[in-house]
Amino acid sequence: MQDLIELLISATAGGCIYALFALSYLVVLRPTGVINFAVGDWGTVAAFGGFLALSEAALPWPIGMAFVIIAAFGLGWLTERIAVRPLVERGAPVLAPILALLGMLVIFREAVSVAFGPDPRPIPQPFGYGRIEFGLLAASYQSIFIIGITASVFVGAWYFFERTLAGRSFEAVALDRRAAALMGINLRRVTSFAFGAGASIAALAALLLTPNTSAHYLMGIPLAIQGFTALVIGGVGRTEGALVGGIILALAEQLTMRYVPIAPGLVQGVPLLLLIIFLLVRPTGLLAARGASA
Amino acid sequence: MKSLLQAALVIAILSAIGFLLGPYHTDIYRKLLLWIALALSYNFLFGVAGQVAFSHFTFYGVGAYAIVILVTQAGLPLPLAATAGIVLCVLLALAVAIPATRLDGFYLALATLALAQLFIVFLNEGGELTGGSGGLTSYRLPDVGGITLSGPRYTVVIVLLVTFTWILLARIDQSWFGRACRAVRDNPQAAAAMGIDVARTRVIAYALTSALAGLAGMVYAFVDNTVSPPIFGLENAFLLLFMVIIGGSGSQIGSVIGATVLYLLPFVLSPLIGHHHALVFGVVMLLVILAQPRGLTGLWAARPWRSR
Repeated sequence: MQDLIELLISATAGGCIYALFALSYLVVLRPTGVINFAVGDWGTVAAFGGFLALSEAALPWPIGMAFVIIAAFGLGWLTERIAVRPLVERGAPVLAPILALLGMLVIFREAVSVAFGPDPRPIPQPFGYGRIEFGLLAASYQSIFIIGITASVFVGAWYFFERTLAGRSFEAVALDRRAAALMGINLRRVTSFAFGAGASIAALAALLLTPNTSAHYLMGIPLAIQGFTALVIGGVGRTEGALVGGIILALAEQLTMRYVPIAPGLVQGVPLLLLIIFLLVRPTGLLAARGASA
Repeated sequence: MKSLLQAALVIAILSAIGFLLGPYHTDIYRKLLLWIALALSYNFLFGVAGQVAFSHFTFYGVGAYAIVILVTQAGLPLPLAATAGIVLCVLLALAVAIPATRLDGFYLALATLALAQLFIVFLNEGGELTGGSGGLTSYRLPDVGGITLSGPRYTVVIVLLVTFTWILLARIDQSWFGRACRAVRDNPQAAAAMGIDVARTRVIAYALTSALAGLAGMVYAFVDNTVSPPIFGLENAFLLLFMVIIGGSGSQIGSVIGATVLYLLPFVLSPLIGHHHALVFGVVMLLVILAQPRGLTGLWAARPWRSR
């Protein structure tokens, strides 16, 4: 029983990572309509930033983390300036920035591979390898740290999108760019901020993940797949959807790995399977957008 | 009649080149032709039908593995194995595309990305069936009608594949189906209003091009007489996308140019930058999208010195 609870907690922590990547997609998708497959590789770049700050420079965790997240905001801002804004302002079809971001994905990945080589790089654990056992409850410190941080990020994101004027302006831009601009919303600023925030969230997720897995230049694509699958499961209409989808995906993966007798690598098939099931059965995701559902 | 003669002439010239080359250049030439065949069918999917998919190289791998497994392990005769391989590609394509194209947006891109990732895992974990990470080796092409196809004769087979792909896709592109695909690409709502079944058009285009990729994979399987997981990795799916974009998406000659340039560029670049071509390709692809969305063929069409 304790064993099962520990599994569920570590799966939830894994799901939180997927949820953060899903949120990173969502923050960009809401105001721009652009699906940014480079989220995973924002994470890769940030993970190596974490390696430099936390392993090489041995900064204390909170400082190193703040440093990487702020730098990631700059990276996201730069990504938008290079690969998105020129196309949007020219009135190119929405496919063009998506392809340009795929180009950025490859550039990020290859730049990391040139700079750091193909070997995985370690990131220290913020709280060491300790774990707590309390009655039936058992979990590693890292799992609890991940769940706590993710919960606060989602509360913040929910508050931002639902309760603040700036967050509502994201929604307005998503609904109708022209009308939003006429209402005095600065489209450029909203788009820049969306990309910056998206990159910061991806960076946070990578920093939470890599103490367990190490930083590797190929880590981006699987995270991009899992994050987007989480988004499809939860539904793009609601901020909480990303969190629900991420946790469902991670639970499905962990329970498959534990109880289904297949080669461990084939667990990578779970996202594809869930994706296809959800696209067939419930294409709006579990949580339908407010107002859209009957 | 004229186009038939043209095709015969092209086949003759491309095959003749195959007979002139030494072993090293034959290898490069054959792989170049295979890349061209793949770029042509991917161009139809991406450039004409407007679908972003990362599974094209996966179907190339499915075709290659399928024919090897069916011929060597199941002992099927070659034509039967080839047919079964194509059927397998089409079924797999339908399983992915029918759910993923029901909605607008980029669900197909995601589903195919996941499929491509999963295929490599499956190859590595496949045990006896796929030979694991070492892949399948030391098999050979059975004689076809009493003829041993090897050396330059096999190059002719590849030339036939490329010309078949070119002619088939050019025909389809000019047919009602090609126009339907372009209409769906440019404006799905308008296409639907004109009575085009948008989802069905997308699914058929995806299944057709995936089957063509599978066919190319079957031909590839007997080029090196070895298939292994790293050959069918995701990087190549990106490379294919870059080839079509850089050459000029929607244009068959553009795909040939894009495939040729990107396939041969590493041979020129490696003395300068080692194995980091992908970085260069990423930068070039980004520049093309930003500066000349119609790629190299667009550059040619817009050449400033053209007499008006």
